[in-house]
This record gives sequence, structure tokens and C-alpha cells, in this order.
Amino acid sequence: MSSVAAGRDLAPRVRLQRRLQVDPRRAALMRIGGVVVALLAAGLALAVTGRPALSLAGEAVTSTFGERLGLEQTAIIATPILLDAIAVAVSLRMRLWNIGVEGQFYMGAWAAAGVGIYVDAPAPLLLVLMALAGAVGGALWIAVPAIARAYWNVNEIITTLLLNFVAVTWVEWFSIDLWRDREAEVIQATPLVGARLPDLFGSTVLHVGFLLPLLLAAFFWVVFRYGRWGYEVDMIGGNPRAAAFAGISVRRRIVTVMLISGAIAGISGMVHLAGATGRLQGTISNGYGLSGFIVAALAGASFLGLVVGGLFIALLLHSGIVLQTSGLSVYIVVAVYGVVLVGIAVAEMAARYRLVIGRRPPAAPGAERAPP
Amino acid sequence: MNIFLAALRTAIDAGTVVVLAGMGELLTERVGVLNLGQEGLIGIGAVTAVIVADQVSSPWIALIAGMLAAGVLGFVFATSVVVVRTNQVLSGLAVVLIGVGLSNQLGNDYQGSPVTHTFEAFEIPILADIPQIGPALFDHNIIVYLSYVALPVLVAIVLFRTRHGMNLRAVGENPAAADAAGIDVTGMRLLYATIGAALSGAGGAFLMLSFTPVWSVNVARGRGWVALAVVIFAAWRPSLLVFGALLFGAMISLGFIAQQQNWGIPSFVLAMLPFLVTLALIILPAALARFGFKVRSSVAPASLATPYFREER
Repeated sequence: MSSVAAGRDLAPRVRLQRRLQVDPRRAALMRIGGVVVALLAAGLALAVTGRPALSLAGEAVTSTFGERLGLEQTAIIATPILLDAIAVAVSLRMRLWNIGVEGQFYMGAWAAAGVGIYVDAPAPLLLVLMALAGAVGGALWIAVPAIARAYWNVNEIITTLLLNFVAVTWVEWFSIDLWRDREAEVIQATPLVGARLPDLFGSTVLHVGFLLPLLLAAFFWVVFRYGRWGYEVDMIGGNPRAAAFAGISVRRRIVTVMLISGAIAGISGMVHLAGATGRLQGTISNGYGLSGFIVAALAGASFLGLVVGGLFIALLLHSGIVLQTSGLSVYIVVAVYGVVLVGIAVAEMAARYRLVIGRRPPAAPGAERAPP
Repeated sequence: MNIFLAALRTAIDAGTVVVLAGMGELLTERVGVLNLGQEGLIGIGAVTAVIVADQVSSPWIALIAGMLAAGVLGFVFATSVVVVRTNQVLSGLAVVLIGVGLSNQLGNDYQGSPVTHTFEAFEIPILADIPQIGPALFDHNIIVYLSYVALPVLVAIVLFRTRHGMNLRAVGENPAAADAAGIDVTGMRLLYATIGAALSGAGGAFLMLSFTPVWSVNVARGRGWVALAVVIFAAWRPSLLVFGALLFGAMISLGFIAQQQNWGIPSFVLAMLPFLVTLALIILPAALARFGFKVRSSVAPASLATPYFREER
């Protein structure tokens, strides 16, 4: 080693040191801290640009918690976000990034709408058929990226994302043109579907679909905690080579996990269609796929953490809608999401590494590297 | 000019954004950094160009401003992933959201008002006089020539014909070895992730200063993601990247022509086509190679998207 390098080693400096063990509680706290710091930073930026962030936040909170309707509307937004987040989390367990949930959501809603408009069946049966159609629609939409990833090693991030643009245009085509409701005055949507999800607890706006993500999250929590399948998926996520040596068919698992992920996103579209909008329209998603992705990232693919995170983001988004009426645009909310994502990324690092400031500890005798 | 040549002319213009953003991403990925934020960087470059062009009457200053703004965002991203070593996928998506959100917000006031000072096309003497292909190939503005000829040649020479380029590639392939050889891995990654982002910003600025000189929401329209895909298609080579971008441009151009000529293809299908073709561009070669066809394999830089820890090598 040259003297320059040796000199650099002696100089005081800041470096990252891997923690021997990642404490899950610390990791969770770090994430929460990261989000809080990110939100504070965003609030500060808003305040600097002359928008009273604090009173806006207060306004948002009171309009959400202050009345029952606010909470129910938050739950309506939370339903697709949570389902999308579960879809992302399932694939994230295997370290696969499904950022195409938005597209799968659209195609699930599209397939469910086709069944809901054109199939004549009693309501309960029709709902089941719509859910099936939604699941198949979402799963088919991710099938090509899944096979390409599993067998030809094509990056799934870009393929799933490119298909989002196709799905949105596809749904626009059907809702503005092919399936458009030509009788009603509704200009840019299909007719109402034949069956709607019933309301929850005698509520007037919130549908039973809200229960689905809660049940599904609990189901996957059990599957990944106690199930063999879940264990194998986690193992592939941790070390695909080791998993392959252990006799797990990695490729088949990649395809199944991605198909399941797509199917959940498709069901999410069906639930939102049959529960909230009733009609297929070009703007049916309102960025739920994106929010779901953020939630899954925030929760680190933990199914219990995801429920908390999803409700939190739904609250944020609902307040975003409130803020919009007070003159703050939805664009700012998107940018704030970005800042939150940075907060999560930094927190993830901070949970696994610690900052060491100062001189490097003297090397133990014999620990020196042999010269290259 | 016949219809085919008119289509070629539009394809070249439409592909320029993808060449610029793709070349930026290519340089970034060559040093081992994956910046998924292209969509956001194009947005920032575009909105800055619109705002600056409104203030000063020079497209050049607007272009440089767009590059600087995207470069700043790129530098912040690079610091996050190279120095703090955050997850590159998460940080890259954050760049998308911050870039898209901010640019939509800032551009809101400029909605619908065209940029007045744009880059003017100029005919290359003699070449533009060639019958038929002359006007299609040699009647563009300066940015188009720079993007399709000067930039790829420059990048290719630097990457494959200079020692600096070899160091650059070494950082992307094997940072530990590069570090041992005395190459500044952190500096190299910061530098090229920033330069790459600035190039993507130039792509966004080009949109506003030449191709579609009026601000609209979500200005990048997926071109950032297409650029990412084209880098893979190009197997991280500047020459193939130009070809891939041109193919994408051709699909956009096909859409224009089909509508102009009333071919009866629904506009929705035409809008989906460029993305489907881009998808095919990255999946087909990989699939063909697997089925035993001789396709040049597309292998990513070995350390792509992996942070480098000197202590853990």
C-alpha cells in the first residue's frame, strides 16, 4: 500500500459500519423517524414558499377526524391503497419490484367492469365473477414481465412500469369510446356495473371491501410467518442461490409470486369499481398504485406494518384532497411523497449501519492484508 | 417530401429526448449507479427551460438552466445513493416523484402558453440539397445533430478509447478492484450520476425548446421509462442506444402519420404502441438468446445498483 493510502487511514473521518444485528424495533422506529423528518422538511419547504403548513395540516386533520364522513372517506381511499400495498409487499418479499400495480389495478377494474356490465347474474354471483375477472385481469397483465424476469432475467421494474402506460390508455379507450355510457349524461365513463358491494355497518359511503385488505394482510402475515411457502419465498428473497441449492424451484416461485401480486392488484381494481366508483373511468385509480408502493416500502414488506402505514398514507392523501380545496395542488403531494421515500431509504440504511466518526481503531496484529 | 421521409424526419425529432436521457442513464449505469428517476429529471429540465425561456430570450440559456436544475437533483440523488448508500430503487423512485411533482407544480402557471424562443432548424449546406433524404436528415436544429452525432461519438470515444473511460467502466464493473487501483470510486460515481442527470435534463429542455414547445402536465409522458428500457436494449452501448431511440421515435411518428392520413387506427392503439414496442425491445432479445438464437447478450455493469463499501470488500 502506498503511503498516501496509509495516511488517509489515519485521518479522522466519517464512515459507515454495518450493525451486527438489525433490531426490528429499531428499524421500525427509524422508518417512522424518517417519515416524520421528511414530512417536517416538506412542511418547512411549504412554509418558506409562503404557505402556512401548520394551519394547513391542522385543517386537514380536523376535516378528517372531526367528522365521521372524513374518516369513512379516508377508509374508502385506504382500501385500494392497502390492497395495492399488499400486492407490492408480496413481490417485495422476494426482492422483486412490482411497480406495475397501477396498471394491474386498471386491468383488474377493466375486466371486472366487462363482467359487471355485460353478464346477467344475481348480485352475489355477479360480484364473485367480477372478483375472479379482476384477479385474472391483473394476473395476466403481469404475466409477461413475470415470465421474462423468471426465465430471461429481464428487469421487472421497467417492464411492469411500461405496461402502466398501456393499461391507462386501454381503460381510457374503453371508458371514453367502446363501452361508454351513451344514455346517461356521464360523458367519460361506462354504464354502472350490475352489482355493487354492500355498505358496511349501515354506513352510507363505506363499503364492505374495506375489510378485504385487513383480512388479506392477516392471511399473508400467517402465510409468511408459519407457512412453508412463505418461508421459501423469503428464502429466495434473502439469497436466491442458496434457495436454489436447497432444492426450491426459484423460477417457478418468481412466476407464482408475481402472478399473485398482479391478481391482488387486479382485485383491488375490482373492489374499488364495485365499491366506490360503480363505473369504469379513465381516472379510476387516482394514483393508488403509487401510494400502495410507498406504503409497502414504508412497511418494509411487513404485512402488519403495512396496514398501519396504509391507513396513515390514506390519511395523508385524504388531507391532500382537503388541502387541494385550500389551494395546495395534488402535485405538491406527489413531491412530498418523494421526500417521504427518501426518508424511508435513509432510515433503512440507518437501521442497518451506524455512523462511526473518528479514527479507525488500530488494526489487530496479523490482521493486515497481504499486499496485492 | 414523401410520407416515408416525413415520418423519418419526425422520428428523428421524437427520438432526441430518448437519446439524451438514455445517454445520461447509460453513463450513470456505466459507473454502477441505477437512476430510475429519468421521468422526474426530464420534467425538471423541461419546466426549468420553460421558466427561464420566459425570462430571457435565448434557448441556449434555457437549455443550460434545464441541465443545471436536473444536475442539481441528480447530484442530490447521487449523494444519497453513493455517499449515504441508500437503496437505489427507492431513491430513484423518489427522484421520479419529486421531479414530476415539482415540475407539474411549477409549470402550472405556464400551461398552454407556447415557448417563444425555440431552437430553429437549420439546413446543413450541400447535404440538405440532396433530393429526398436531404430535407429529412439534414434539416433539424442544432440539438438534434448534437444528440445523434456528437454526443454518441464523444461518449463512445471516452468510454472505449481513453484511460479515463476504462477507469469509469471499472468502477461500474468491479469497484473494489478499481478502488485498489487508486481510482476514486465515490468521486467517479458522483460525477457521472450528476452528468447523466444533466443530460436527461437537456432531454426535457429539448422537449420544451423544440419538439413540443408548450408546457403540459406530466410532460415526460413515459419517455423517461422508455429511456431506461432503451439503455438495456442497447446493451449499454452508445451506438445501439441511438438506434433504439430512433425506433421509439418511429413509433411516435407512426402515430402522427396514421392520424394525419386517416388510416382508421384508433388513436388509443397508436398511443399504446410505442410502449409495447419498447417492451418488446427489451424482452425479445433476451428471449431469443435463451432459445438459442445468436443475439449479442446484454450484460449490465456487474456492480449496477450495488453500493460500494470499502470496509466490506
